[in-house]
Amino acid sequence: MRCGDFKENYIKDEEIFQSRFVKFWLALFLIFLILFPFIANAHMLYIANMIGFAVIGAIGLNLLTGFTGQISLGHAAFIGVGAYTSAILITRYGVSFWLSIPLAGLVSALAGLVIGIPSLRVKGLYLCIATLAAQFIFGFIFVHWESMTKGITGIHIPPPQIGSFQFVTEKDFYWITLFFTVLGVGYARNLVRSRMGRAFVAIRDRDLAAEIIGINLFRYKLSAFAISSFYAGVSGALWVSFLKVVIPEHFPFMLCIQYLAMVIVGGLGSIIGSIFGAIFMTLVPEILNVLSDVVKSYAPGMGKLIIPFKQVVFGFLIVSFLIFEPRGLAEIWNRIKKFFTLWPFSY
Amino acid sequence: MDFSILIQVIVAGLATGGIYGLIALGFVLIYKATSVLNLAMGEFMTLGAFICFTALTIVHVSFWLAFPITIAFAILLGIVIEPLILRPMIGEPIISVIMVTIGLGAILRGLMYMIWDPTYRAFPQIFPPKPLNLGFAVVPSGLLWGFVFAVITTIVFILIFKFSRTGVAMRATANDQQAALSMGVSVKRVFALSWSFGAIAAVIGGIVIGNISGINIYMGDVGLAVLSVIILGGLDSLEGAILGGFIVGVLQNLAGLYIDPLVGGGAKDVAPFFIVLIILMIRPYGLFGKVIIERV
Amino acid sequence: MKKIGLFILSFILCVGSYSIAVAQQQPTICAVHPFTGRFAFAGIEGSAAMQDVVDMANETGGIGGKKIQYYWADGEYNDDVGIAAFKRLYAQYTPQIMFGQSTGMTKALGPEIKSRYKVLYSAYTMTSEAANPKENPYLFIAAPTYAEMFGVLLKYIVKEKPGANIAFFYSDTEFGREPIPAGREMCKKMGLNLVAEEVSQVGGVDITTQVLDMKSKKADYCIFQGYVSNPIGSVIKQSKDYGLNAKFMGTFWSTELQLLKELGALADEYIGVSAYSFYYQEDLPMIKKIRDWTQKKYPKIEYRSQSYMENFATTLLFVECFKRADKMKGGMTGDNLVKALQSIKNFDMGGLMPLVTIKDNGIPVGRVYRGNSKTVRFDPISDWIRMD
Repeated sequence: MRCGDFKENYIKDEEIFQSRFVKFWLALFLIFLILFPFIANAHMLYIANMIGFAVIGAIGLNLLTGFTGQISLGHAAFIGVGAYTSAILITRYGVSFWLSIPLAGLVSALAGLVIGIPSLRVKGLYLCIATLAAQFIFGFIFVHWESMTKGITGIHIPPPQIGSFQFVTEKDFYWITLFFTVLGVGYARNLVRSRMGRAFVAIRDRDLAAEIIGINLFRYKLSAFAISSFYAGVSGALWVSFLKVVIPEHFPFMLCIQYLAMVIVGGLGSIIGSIFGAIFMTLVPEILNVLSDVVKSYAPGMGKLIIPFKQVVFGFLIVSFLIFEPRGLAEIWNRIKKFFTLWPFSY
Repeated sequence: MDFSILIQVIVAGLATGGIYGLIALGFVLIYKATSVLNLAMGEFMTLGAFICFTALTIVHVSFWLAFPITIAFAILLGIVIEPLILRPMIGEPIISVIMVTIGLGAILRGLMYMIWDPTYRAFPQIFPPKPLNLGFAVVPSGLLWGFVFAVITTIVFILIFKFSRTGVAMRATANDQQAALSMGVSVKRVFALSWSFGAIAAVIGGIVIGNISGINIYMGDVGLAVLSVIILGGLDSLEGAILGGFIVGVLQNLAGLYIDPLVGGGAKDVAPFFIVLIILMIRPYGLFGKVIIERV
Repeated sequence: MKKIGLFILSFILCVGSYSIAVAQQQPTICAVHPFTGRFAFAGIEGSAAMQDVVDMANETGGIGGKKIQYYWADGEYNDDVGIAAFKRLYAQYTPQIMFGQSTGMTKALGPEIKSRYKVLYSAYTMTSEAANPKENPYLFIAAPTYAEMFGVLLKYIVKEKPGANIAFFYSDTEFGREPIPAGREMCKKMGLNLVAEEVSQVGGVDITTQVLDMKSKKADYCIFQGYVSNPIGSVIKQSKDYGLNAKFMGTFWSTELQLLKELGALADEYIGVSAYSFYYQEDLPMIKKIRDWTQKKYPKIEYRSQSYMENFATTLLFVECFKRADKMKGGMTGDNLVKALQSIKNFDMGGLMPLVTIKDNGIPVGRVYRGNSKTVRFDPISDWIRMD
């Protein structure tokens, strides 16, 4: 039997998904995704939707930080911009949900462009702090621009609809989330193997050299910020239509940290890493919750102790991942893939 | 224009700025030698405040004993954390290192929750409560003593860095690790020591802030606003940290005085971040930092 | 191939079995408490209170022989986590009554509770939206709303010094800003001068500009909203330093012993509002019952805060609603529980609150207390004031 990964023509070499192993599992996964809402309960569907939003947001952040090397601590602000844009468009201007999603993405992309301008002057840690400043400034705007955002009270959003069908429950919304997530992942996967994606990686690795070989840093850095914020905006817009309400307290600094954790634990510079990271960071707290329920029912006194333990476990997981597997879950997946590529002769 | 209020506000800003400078000092001490931005500084601060509090109220020692105990604890903290968590991260991209410090902060917060519970507590009165009356302005006792501690600590550290052997070793390591190694400086020891120094600054800051506004396990959130101070002063400059602190403190208070009424409050807290953006656009390496930023 | 198929099958089975919710005929309460985060102290006390009331009720026979089930989860004072916990608890236990962790979560879930969940709901909040039976029939609070508390304080001020200068000092959060518009209206109506509005973050280190602003506008009274202890202590201390002669007042969540301890000698300066009696008012029958229970089960606990009392009162109402709904046709459904709630008039809580009559899904009554630095307690300085 044939083993190993060799291509026989150029078309096969440029395929998005390259090995049989990957294609098989991908197909299986897609079938699972389609069957999922019929076997899961409302709570699991809620989690599934949240994972979907996280995936879109994480891909956005990974494109900026993992592929282009621009550290951003302001991701939550862009999610917020998209969320508020969509909410305002739907409630004040009567725009339909379906149109508001790309519009929200565009407005976020615009915000991203503005915030990306410092990236042309400063790098690394300094850029990090600049984006952090942007995060807090946007937070301030969300609270105080009351004429638009209704400040602290927030905006209630009606559920999206096609014709007369309203997407009210988690199960209905799941299809919307699935649609946008697949779209987002597909586009990103294509983007990173295109010219723009290669430019991003070049900027990350050695931006001076990239400039020398003719990559316009100005244009590509700003594009990275814009595309990343577009993804964040779409994620935010979907999320708040799902929750049916948007308040400024949805976008704290902690949200940035969560997304960064997703991207780093999942694997910087890898689309599938973003997906793994998003799933991991959303599921781990839920699993801890289930565990703590179990503990509570067997030893009620210990229940109180489990609560802070969640924080400790969260921090501990991040730290151990970063120390022992710094390239994240994607690296583990890569190792599995390589193993199976040469299977059964993978020694 | 009521001048007396303006002067009072500026004086209070200087005093608060001193406290910011203290925490900024902690950041800079760690960054200078190891190039790591420690975002767990807020939790170090909180931990310091709690240790001092425990020493004062549960073990019932006087402040003259509690203070050195807390400092000793800070040194221990630095010496333990550095090899355990930061050493394995040498060479990793900077974003991962920052993430590790954030994870560390979460672990510390969880541990503090388990050891002390989350009620708000008043710090026992360790400074005389009378405010300082300068004639043209009044400085409340908490701010005054915070300012004093901040200035003293900064001067002590600047002296250490300039004149002691350890200080010179740390500066050498910050400048060029290889060269320092070849001259016999133990870079490992310098790293651990710089974390201890940072922790010391943080715990003093914690004690001071705890004295002003009481302690609880979430008081470390003030650490983020201090980032604007270190950008203003320069990420690797000690003098920049304290001076940046003063400037940010005063600017913040001025924003509170003039801008808050216009926007319905909250301007004071977001002002430091505007300052950051402006500084980064005009003079990214801060007032006193080294010029190493490349530009497009 | 076979192995893979087996794996998939077992996975589907796990997912499927998890999603089978056990239909509950038992009276069930599910609560999301903020065990971590800024309000952790309230979450711990509140959850203890609920557990105690449920245990007390179950010891005396439960609801017509059925034992009340009580399940809780940590919301981390983060709305995302809280809402997820809410949905998880509902999916697992299908309770008839639920309890939330914050104002934000309540507002977010309000429409869905009305249209989908239809459970009786209360929360760690006193927002007017939760006492609005037209908009949110399933939501209620066992307390006055923040706006009503402001009303109680303003009424007290009008009696003491009509036409006085008032300053509002609130935090830059939903919790802080919620009653301010109503507060402004009430000042106008009562002929009081609202001279200043100060905003700060919870736990701000420097509040100099705010204190100086109040001084320059000659505020006589300063009402805090949206804080628990920080920076109330700093404001009061520093106002003495800067020469601001104002009286300080606060609403429910800051009227706690921990604030008095922090104020030390300045505790006499602080006036608060609460709808509940305090743990040290031992002569009241319900307080005595709580003390005996606490000393028996948790001998190490010395004090129960007002957050405990608030949840205790709410859960007493929960139990009472269960009892009344149990006798109605259809049993303990959400709609019956709401009807039971509306039927509560002159309900005796043994001194924890005055006789309780639910009005507009709230209990608009409060009492003004002044701090006492010598006894480190709150002394009542008014009778129970009704806000209707």
